[in-house]
Amino acid sequence: MWQVYFKELTELLRDKKTLIFVILLPILIFPVLFGIVGLVMATTTNKAMEEQHRYVIINEQQAPEFAEALFYHKNFKKIETTLTSEDDLVAAIRNKEFDVALVIPTDFASRKAAVQQTEWQLIYNRSSQLDFMYNYFDEMLATYQEQLQRNTLSQLGVDPANLTAILKPVKLSKVNTAEQRENIGESMGAILAYALVLLCLSGAMYPAVDMGAGEKERGTLETLLICPVSRTAIVLGKFLTVLTTALMTALITVVSLGVWGAIISAFADLSKVSEALASITILDLVLMFSLLLPTAAIFAALLLAISIYARTFKEAQNYMSPLTILVIVPLMIAMAPGMELDVTTALIPLTNIALAIKELLKGTADYGLLALIFASTTALAAALIAFCVHWFQQEKVLFR
Amino acid sequence: MIEIKGLAKAFAISKGNKLSDTEKQDVRYSDKAFHSVRDVSFTCGEGEVLGLLGPNGAGKTTTLRMLSTALKQDSGSVFINGIDVLQKPVQARKEIGFLSADTGLYGKLTAFENIAYFARLHGMKELAIKERIDQLFTMLDMHNFANRRVDTMSTGMKQKTAIARAVVHNPKVVILDEPTTGLDIMTVQTVLDFIMSLKAQGTPVIFSTHHLDEVGALCDKVVVIDKGLSSFSGTLEQFKQLAPHGDLRQAFLAVIANQPLQGVA
Repeated sequence: MWQVYFKELTELLRDKKTLIFVILLPILIFPVLFGIVGLVMATTTNKAMEEQHRYVIINEQQAPEFAEALFYHKNFKKIETTLTSEDDLVAAIRNKEFDVALVIPTDFASRKAAVQQTEWQLIYNRSSQLDFMYNYFDEMLATYQEQLQRNTLSQLGVDPANLTAILKPVKLSKVNTAEQRENIGESMGAILAYALVLLCLSGAMYPAVDMGAGEKERGTLETLLICPVSRTAIVLGKFLTVLTTALMTALITVVSLGVWGAIISAFADLSKVSEALASITILDLVLMFSLLLPTAAIFAALLLAISIYARTFKEAQNYMSPLTILVIVPLMIAMAPGMELDVTTALIPLTNIALAIKELLKGTADYGLLALIFASTTALAAALIAFCVHWFQQEKVLFR
Repeated sequence: MIEIKGLAKAFAISKGNKLSDTEKQDVRYSDKAFHSVRDVSFTCGEGEVLGLLGPNGAGKTTTLRMLSTALKQDSGSVFINGIDVLQKPVQARKEIGFLSADTGLYGKLTAFENIAYFARLHGMKELAIKERIDQLFTMLDMHNFANRRVDTMSTGMKQKTAIARAVVHNPKVVILDEPTTGLDIMTVQTVLDFIMSLKAQGTPVIFSTHHLDEVGALCDKVVVIDKGLSSFSGTLEQFKQLAPHGDLRQAFLAVIANQPLQGVA
């Protein structure tokens, strides 16, 4: 068994494709990918925040204080117009003559004096995901309204000392009981679990194809089968090789995420993140790894069984693409908001692993449930390994 | 010494597969199974070279696979030096050296590593492996590419490596499945020389081939397999007598033509 293992490992290490999939991909591509996504998001957000919105205001003489505030806001630029009807304004916005129109009714000043509510109209395109314009506008309107309220109440004879309490009787202050790592664990945990499990799969995939279908295609399988070694030993040797690469990929990913995280937080001020990460103990990492071990074993056994069955490299790859989708689905379920680890979810393969990794990052894991997950995943892995061994004894599988 | 009696092997046909018209004409197809090998018997003694002839798809490779324990026969027996292959496959495998035309080497390993890997799988000790490989490299004149990866080798180098791999564990019998198919003349000569040297050592050799000149030059015995039956089994002289002037091609065609039409056994 070990002879097969060491030989397969030597062969894989000499293969450039393995090095790319197992080592280079997790080290470089993922941080680069995350970096690009982060950069793009940051620039678009910045751009949206600094954008100047061209506005028109109808009947501005009805609310001169507000019109003035709008005029001096750095994100708004005034455009003169002669249009007044709603339809004309909508058409003009669609023609991109300006971005936003504020319609103040002609009787606003008199209604205000009579303490009556008035309806203002804000016309703009609301399809944008980053609606900073409205935020700015809303802020200004709130200030303006508060000023109006104060004026009105003062005119009605309310004591100015009580005004703040009347306008805002309750002031709410929030105290967060979650530790910093719980917040970060909640937001990062699901994604990290997703990446780890998928990398385990992708790390196992290429070697598995090479060692089953590849060996068939090259004609070496037959020679191997007539060596005085039991077929169980051969298949276990191959299985261990695939398992090793899967775990290596996962391990390299974690290390590279750690290193890149350190580099990034050294440049940007992310002290909260690093503090939270520092509170993750060695025990947590060991537990995470011990959950990934049977998961990787499941993948290794499954992929090897597929690969042994396939006649060629191509055939094996065709069988494996639907498997990737099958793996992604339970991981997506784990990422869904509101999914919590309990006795039921602890028995869903892969979903349970992803949830457990999240809990471990948050520091709120229930060790009983972790044991249950470990046991159920190990049982599944053992069954699949047994199947793989049985599969490798079948003539109809080996000589198709 | 290799003894084969009444060997038979059938492969199940998956239900989805419809038989083509040509396949329906083959007597070996039944509703459920393809009886690839139906009744093959022959013996090969010490120092004898046995040539296995037959059209494509006759069942030569299946026979050799059963002989080499890669496949298990449905009925019949294979004895290699008195060891029942079905009962003790692992022990029987130690006695067998196997070689085919598509060399079966690992491209990313060097010649030495390829040979050493199989030697280790045969349970040889490291020191013995080094000595034996050195001996084989001298014999086959392989020292100058011993540490080259197989991917970068010429066909001739590859075939030499495959030969060394096949006999590294000093097998008592050697089985070759079309060892010269698709090789250039120089490489074919390497293989033929190798068979000759085995014969000189008294090792029985069984090889399947389509080249009758090889049979004429090397073989003591000839077996013709057609439609899963060993329709001729005898010495080279007996085979030659089947045709006037001892022409091997005519003899072969005569054996195939005499094949009685019969149903599945």
